[in-house]
Amino acid sequence: MTSKKPADKNLETGKIPTWCPGCFNFKILTGIKNAIEREIRNGKKKEDFAIVAGIGCHGKMFDYVNLNGINTLHGRVLPTCLGMKVGNPNLTVLGFSGDGDAYAEGMEHLIHAARFNADIKYFVHNNQVFALTVGQPTPTTEIGFKDKTTPQGVKFPPINPIKLMLSAGATFVARVYANSEQIEYIFREAMRHKGFAFVEILQPCIVFHNDKGYMEKTYSLDQVKHDKTNFQQAMKRAEEFNYSDVEKIPLGIFYQTQRKILEEQYPQLAELKRLKIGWKDIKR
Amino acid sequence: MKFTILFGGKAGQGPNILSTLLGQALINQGHYVFMSRDYESVIRGGHNFNIITFSDEQIYSNESKVDLIVALDENTVVLHKKKLKKEGSIIQGEGKGNMYFAGRIYKLLCIDFKILGEQLQELQRFEENIKDAMEGYQTETKSVCKVEINKRKLFFMNGNKGISDGAVKSGVDIYFAYPMTPATNVINELAERQLENNFVVMELENEIAVINAAIGSAITGAKTMIGTSGGGFDLMTEALSLTGIAETPLVIYLASRPGPSTGVATYTGQGDLDLARHSGHGEFPRLVVAPGDPVEAEELTSQAFFFSQEYGIPAIVLSDKHLAESSYTTNEIAMITLSKKRTELKRYNSYETDEFGNATENPERIIKNVEERNAKQKKINREAERFENYKIYGNKNSKNVVVSYGSTKGAIVDAVKNLDVKFVQVLYLEPFPEKIKKEIEGKNIILVENSATGQLAKLIAEKTGIFIDDKNKILRYDGRPFLHDELSEEIKRRLKR
Repeated sequence: MTSKKPADKNLETGKIPTWCPGCFNFKILTGIKNAIEREIRNGKKKEDFAIVAGIGCHGKMFDYVNLNGINTLHGRVLPTCLGMKVGNPNLTVLGFSGDGDAYAEGMEHLIHAARFNADIKYFVHNNQVFALTVGQPTPTTEIGFKDKTTPQGVKFPPINPIKLMLSAGATFVARVYANSEQIEYIFREAMRHKGFAFVEILQPCIVFHNDKGYMEKTYSLDQVKHDKTNFQQAMKRAEEFNYSDVEKIPLGIFYQTQRKILEEQYPQLAELKRLKIGWKDIKR
Repeated sequence: MKFTILFGGKAGQGPNILSTLLGQALINQGHYVFMSRDYESVIRGGHNFNIITFSDEQIYSNESKVDLIVALDENTVVLHKKKLKKEGSIIQGEGKGNMYFAGRIYKLLCIDFKILGEQLQELQRFEENIKDAMEGYQTETKSVCKVEINKRKLFFMNGNKGISDGAVKSGVDIYFAYPMTPATNVINELAERQLENNFVVMELENEIAVINAAIGSAITGAKTMIGTSGGGFDLMTEALSLTGIAETPLVIYLASRPGPSTGVATYTGQGDLDLARHSGHGEFPRLVVAPGDPVEAEELTSQAFFFSQEYGIPAIVLSDKHLAESSYTTNEIAMITLSKKRTELKRYNSYETDEFGNATENPERIIKNVEERNAKQKKINREAERFENYKIYGNKNSKNVVVSYGSTKGAIVDAVKNLDVKFVQVLYLEPFPEKIKKEIEGKNIILVENSATGQLAKLIAEKTGIFIDDKNKILRYDGRPFLHDELSEEIKRRLKR
């Protein structure tokens, strides 16, 4: 079905969401839209934002958020975000990936994005399963998970993206649950951060990975006086949840630090930022 | 007058620096020079050599026999003495530095020592070098060739310099790459010029990141270019297909070397024509152009920018190691085609989209999008006919036609000089020039290609219905370029009266 004409002012694309009824992506979408609208109310323009999404259930975020950008290839969200930032450093670039997109197909880019520290806000919808291809394990699926591709159950320990991002030098590392308020909060914090902001969203998949039990195991890092400037503490907190055994799941900002962003490392880009233009506006 | 010198030695001994120095000195004196490089995938040791052929007439290639061997090590003599002409000579000096040899060669060729001195001032370790050079100059007692000074204004440049100049003159904003021979010199050259010319050069984690970042910057409206060789290009092809559906402008420099796979990493080959034309899943328009010398490299790079910006398509500039890294003499100024930045940041998609940029699976809409892409292809075809999409050399009315594309141009032009031959050099491989059919129909067609299967012959058959006889295919696939004297004999054998 073709969509209706999108509204110019708000974020509606006119397309009716095709996620499963009750999918937690609706909560993520609401949180993100509320957060962007709040930024717009506070003076940002719609054109200041750009959105990049990959392929998978998360990728439909692009269909339902009416911002410029691209619904790109599976796994290539981060280099695309980087390119847009290099093309116009004044854009606020929001990247959306799933766990397959970020941790399987696009793993190499994730590590380097943390290294480059471009001012990109990156949200990973981690439902610990390939949902749009009907239920195969991803690099963050727990040991023992069974499906048609692995009838004997997953044998390998999941990677821990929080630890990985800390090791790779990410300057902002956070985890939230797929809950609109938490997403609005973390979006605001990520926007305030100057540099690469990595936000993992734990998102139950109601069809292929229904982990309703996660919710009651979560706790907020804010409530335990976690020092987000302390790298060792962040690592320790990150180890509390290994994506296989569910005992304690910390939520919130694990770590935040300041390091020169990519746009400041190139005088050509710093100048575009100062002039508030992109290469498009450079006449030669 | 034609004179050929081979400079050989271990990697690290500096045969390339030595021959480049002499090549530049000869150019400054008004000679036409062609210099090729033959080097192994080795940083120190092994065996590398350069061949310089110079003449008082334009020259675009080397010949198989040499007048002088400059042997920085004993191995050079062992490997190359068979190539020496009867009256040829060898310069040796075990344990001597490369500037000792420079001194001897300049003396031998009667080039004033002052010229060498001026050149050495631009290099490091001047004191040491000038001492060695003087020792060599005083040691040499023979003179094998009188070097006259001509008042021609000539430039010495390789194909990669042509690509880089073309990019800068076309107003490139961003160049992304991952290093891979023989495209690497372009990122090096552009990186050096980025601040002065205000553009950005970035090396990313791999070729997949390179092309996806390029798509990201291209949709913001930045003129973006990337560069790689066959293996790196293979990695890019999924995203090449994305440029096809999202209609994003992108210029891709594809510098070939012999495959399959790692193949012969530092040698030359033209095995990637099919790849350039057919890569990427699905059906979408593209441009593939292939320069045959550094000036054409500049011109065709600017045309690639024009087509990519004007039509929102990927435009591939196809080259190879022989063109990329050989140095040519030029006195022409490239004709640059200017291009406007046409792309606006809006909503792009890897899915088929409806009129609002939203993903769609609607069959009518899919048909509409496909037909729009087909119509665009037709427009591109018409526009391409307005450009010089092929060139003719030699006797226009000859019964014998040599066809080729890319870096073989030099050896062919030199080889057919005194033959009854028309040479058709194809510059546009996609879209293919309409008039080629008329140029070759009913003639004795001879193909020259640095590949094992003759991919241009397949393309010609596809586009014109004309088949080239296997016996008339002169193919070279040992990783080495054609040499004009040998090629001339090969062509002669196939000529009809």
